[in-house]
Amino acid sequence: MSTANMRLANQKTRRETGLDYVVSAMNLLTPFGTKQVKDQKPFFPGQEEALEQELDRVAKMAETAEEHSKDIGILQETFMMIKDNTFTIERSENSVLTVVEIFEVKNLMLLMEKLRTLSGRIELPAEYVPEDITELLDVLDPGGDRLNTFYIYDSFSEKLAELRRDKKNMEREIRSRQKASRAEIKDKYGLMLTPKFDITVSKSDSDSIKKIEEISELTKSDEDYMSVTFVLVADDAVQEMLRQLDGITADIEEEELNVRERLSKEIHKYAGVLLGNCERIGRLDMILAKALYAKAHQCVRPEIVKEHIVEFEEGRHLQVEEIIKKKGGEYCPVGISLRDGVTCITGANMGGKTISLKLTGMVAILAQYGYFVPCKKARVGLSNFMQILIGDSQSIERGLSSFGSEMEELKEIIDNSKDRSLLLIDEIASGTNPVEGLALTKSIVDYLKTKTYISLITTHFETVTADKDVINMQVTGLANVDFDKLNREIRYANRRERINIIQKYMDYRLTRVDDAAEIPKDALNIAKMLGIDNSIIEKAKEYIV
Amino acid sequence: MYLLEELSQKYKRISIVGMAKNAGKTTALNYLIEEAMDEGIVLGITSTGRDGEGTDVVTGTDKPRVFLDTDTIVSVPTQLYELADAGLEIVKMTDYGSSLGQIMLCRVVSSGYVQVAGPVINAQHIEMCEEMLRLGAQLVLIDGAIDRKSIAAPGTSDAIILSTGAVLSRKMSKVVEETVHTVTLYRLPCLEDGQERDLLTGENGEKILLIKEGKVVTLDRSTGLGAGKYLDAQIDDTVSHVFVPGAFTHSVVADINPKKLKHLTFVLKDPTKIFFGPTMWNQFRKRGLVVKVLENIKVAAITVNPTSPSGYAFDHEELVNAMQEAIPDIPVIDVRM
Repeated sequence: MSTANMRLANQKTRRETGLDYVVSAMNLLTPFGTKQVKDQKPFFPGQEEALEQELDRVAKMAETAEEHSKDIGILQETFMMIKDNTFTIERSENSVLTVVEIFEVKNLMLLMEKLRTLSGRIELPAEYVPEDITELLDVLDPGGDRLNTFYIYDSFSEKLAELRRDKKNMEREIRSRQKASRAEIKDKYGLMLTPKFDITVSKSDSDSIKKIEEISELTKSDEDYMSVTFVLVADDAVQEMLRQLDGITADIEEEELNVRERLSKEIHKYAGVLLGNCERIGRLDMILAKALYAKAHQCVRPEIVKEHIVEFEEGRHLQVEEIIKKKGGEYCPVGISLRDGVTCITGANMGGKTISLKLTGMVAILAQYGYFVPCKKARVGLSNFMQILIGDSQSIERGLSSFGSEMEELKEIIDNSKDRSLLLIDEIASGTNPVEGLALTKSIVDYLKTKTYISLITTHFETVTADKDVINMQVTGLANVDFDKLNREIRYANRRERINIIQKYMDYRLTRVDDAAEIPKDALNIAKMLGIDNSIIEKAKEYIV
Repeated sequence: MYLLEELSQKYKRISIVGMAKNAGKTTALNYLIEEAMDEGIVLGITSTGRDGEGTDVVTGTDKPRVFLDTDTIVSVPTQLYELADAGLEIVKMTDYGSSLGQIMLCRVVSSGYVQVAGPVINAQHIEMCEEMLRLGAQLVLIDGAIDRKSIAAPGTSDAIILSTGAVLSRKMSKVVEETVHTVTLYRLPCLEDGQERDLLTGENGEKILLIKEGKVVTLDRSTGLGAGKYLDAQIDDTVSHVFVPGAFTHSVVADINPKKLKHLTFVLKDPTKIFFGPTMWNQFRKRGLVVKVLENIKVAAITVNPTSPSGYAFDHEELVNAMQEAIPDIPVIDVRM
């Protein structure tokens, strides 16, 4: 089956699981790398071998980065100087490139050469090493200086060099004739012309003006209320030379165009190699970014298996981890083991049910895109389809009620799911009346458990988990907490501190509960800790009975 | 007189600042470039905005292009490169953008006319001037564009050349008065090194500060605009210095009790923060206003343009002489003679 047009996950799922977050946090340094990441495709069931190869590349690159940290630093600096000139290279087919464009191509080629040398030193796999472009460089840099400068140098064309020499001589000749005239005028009339061969006289000095007006070598060039400017008249010989100079200048321009045309054609001849090199650089940039990101965030290589499972130990949701680390807190890693069928996550409010759901998605989707995963250990079997159903602000912006948008997405999931799907559903039907909500949840579970999908559902409806076919994972929550100690600590805390204290005591880990145990009722406890009036809490307790 | 030789020994970066639009800034630049050619000084030429274009974008008056000699280092945006009549070797593509494409540093290989433009952001400008010096320029001349006075701010250049001219007023005495006033402000004394300077520069420099009995008091205001009465209430005999980070206008001083004013020293970041006409300035000086700055501006030379684009002109010699007499210690140059 062709996977070219298959879609693994929609945009929302890529965002909510944190794939987008990881991609944007990766340190891509070249425009080519950025493009490759934008075009990256996930691996589907049946492509396990190709995925393993991609993971091999990341693993190998991580080793290389460790071994050659200094050269990798130089490599990254070189990356940062690269600009996207692919359009210029493509343009060379039908157009004459400008001097600036040729300069940019030459510049890019020098960087390719540098990367080529570096890659050789680091012994990078051949797939990343830019191909040799010495021949074209010799054309653009006939002097062989390999300097990062460009001009239509004389060395490009003998004819051009000759024309330029002629022009220079002509200009020199004109100037020396003008200088001679200036000296003559100084001797004859005692007037000193400026280096521009003009002279400005105040109108109040009418004698001088009259005198100068009679000098045939000078002519009036500019006049305002207060002064008159006279300029040296070009004699016939100079006139003739100026005419010739115009001709030479036109010839020079034409010859420069010829040179540019020739160079553009040469560049076009190598366009395939150059564009191929851009792609190699992009691949290297992307794999290096993946490897370095994995290293910096303690990610490990996932084990890819044939059977459809998602299993990990001590997983961390990278986006949440970053927030907690910034606040100086410690992330509590979570593990889970899922296979086809329905698994529910139940437990206390603030118990991280939704984060555990997103984390499952993150591990699965990262693995499937060929990334290392933020766990101690992970085993993943590839899915054909992944979707997360979770409330977000966008549905409200679209004017849909939370229930309405939920149902819309549920339909999308049910319509699009196929064999080996991973479905992540966050508290469905919690926004409607509990009677119908519970009934709907139960029937959705009944539907999903017959399918070859991994379905992970967070819920507060405990009778859903009573079904013997449904696996119940419970958040440990505040079950083992010394409440006296917690209450003492929370008594004098302000609002923000209260939340932090509860988070500190909360045990986010999931435990499998096989007997139909009661879901812990922590909602009132937590409401109380967060400062809700005691009379309200007590009354609520009365209602439970 | 070897003007450029002398300037290049004292300074590395000189901004050409116009007292007003059409004060002859570009004419001054061309004059200096010609001088440099004669003296054999290698220049770096750049501008704070697009400059040297055929016509001035704002008023539509003629603006000569800049003729550059070989070896000059010049900053040119990519879109103007092909328009240059000089032969330009591209030496470096910078990361600085402009509305006319990225700025490139070029070396003039064959002399001719060039349209010059540089980066707009101050920090980039400083960096680029350094690069020009590294590439072999002995002196960098910076031509300001629309925001003429801000480039006079210290830090972007070592000194300025002030272009003034008939465009300021139809009365010659007024042209001289305005110019003298600007030069006076630019040359205000710096706050001496010592305890007060340390105290005032130790803070972040965003709020009004007082030095009261040798200690810094931070006020919850960042500009002098409309703060006169508020300031007056905060100041008593024990306050010796007032640091105003933003605009310093006469209304600030007007609301302060003249008796208190006598033993106060106002401290500003630099002279471009002062918005005082010459008359007001002199009045308050007589009442005892003392202003010092953290950094002042060196004026290396003054160029005068005796003609105004609106059609009138002064006698060249008369204007130069009047100006030189009023400011005897700075060379005054007529760029049109």
